Amino acid sequence: MTTETDVATEKFVATERPWNVVVWDDPVTPMTVVVVIFKKIFGYSNNKCTQLMLRVHNDGKAIVWSGPRERAESYCVKLQVAGLQSTIEQDQ
Amino acid sequence: MAGNRLFVRRRDGRIEVRLNDAGRVVAREAFGRVVIAERDPDHEWHAGLNAPIDPSSDTDDPVSTLNRQSDIATNAELAVMTLNEEFLNESEAWAWLSTFQLALRSVAVANGLVNGERLEHCEPEILNFVRTLQQFLFSLAECL
Repeated sequence: MTTETDVATEKFVATERPWNVVVWDDPVTPMTVVVVIFKKIFGYSNNKCTQLMLRVHNDGKAIVWSGPRERAESYCVKLQVAGLQSTIEQDQ
Repeated sequence: MAGNRLFVRRRDGRIEVRLNDAGRVVAREAFGRVVIAERDPDHEWHAGLNAPIDPSSDTDDPVSTLNRQSDIATNAELAVMTLNEEFLNESEAWAWLSTFQLALRSVAVANGLVNGERLEHCEPEILNFVRTLQQFLFSLAECL
């Protein structure tokens, strides 16, 4: 049995804006290291990791993952542990 | 070129460490400083190891910050413990790469090296440390 309130809560969860994991550029980190870290943490293809790394380098930052807040925070911590400058932000 | 590599992936999967004594001294300094800085809030590298996770929030989730602290310490301590090894397995090599990279970024944060120009004009000793860590990272990343 589902009450009106339950339905409203479920709808809110389903439409909540995703959280983005953002990686920021810095002048010291070698590009190849960024690619290796993206591969290790996200398991993306070499091509996708290289594209993301170039976006960080050229634009100053890149969104590398989007989804629920808890997972975004977990990925952000993994990136920070690996020495990359990373933050989370809710999608606009 | 292969003769100049500092780290080499062997056929059995292990990673050979070809750092000379001077290289291992730099590695020891980098790993050791990460271990100390993680524990000491007054250490100049501490801020670089404890960046905000969600800048829109006043405080980060304590569980996430605790996880980060624990993982950084685990990697750095494993790197210290394997400092004199001739060969590294995958986990050890990842601990080395992560800890070198943390050291590199912490030096940059501590010395305000926010762009290439600031980097080129920093103190020679710091620039030398940065360039050495970058060399280590280039070579190790090629193996992973």
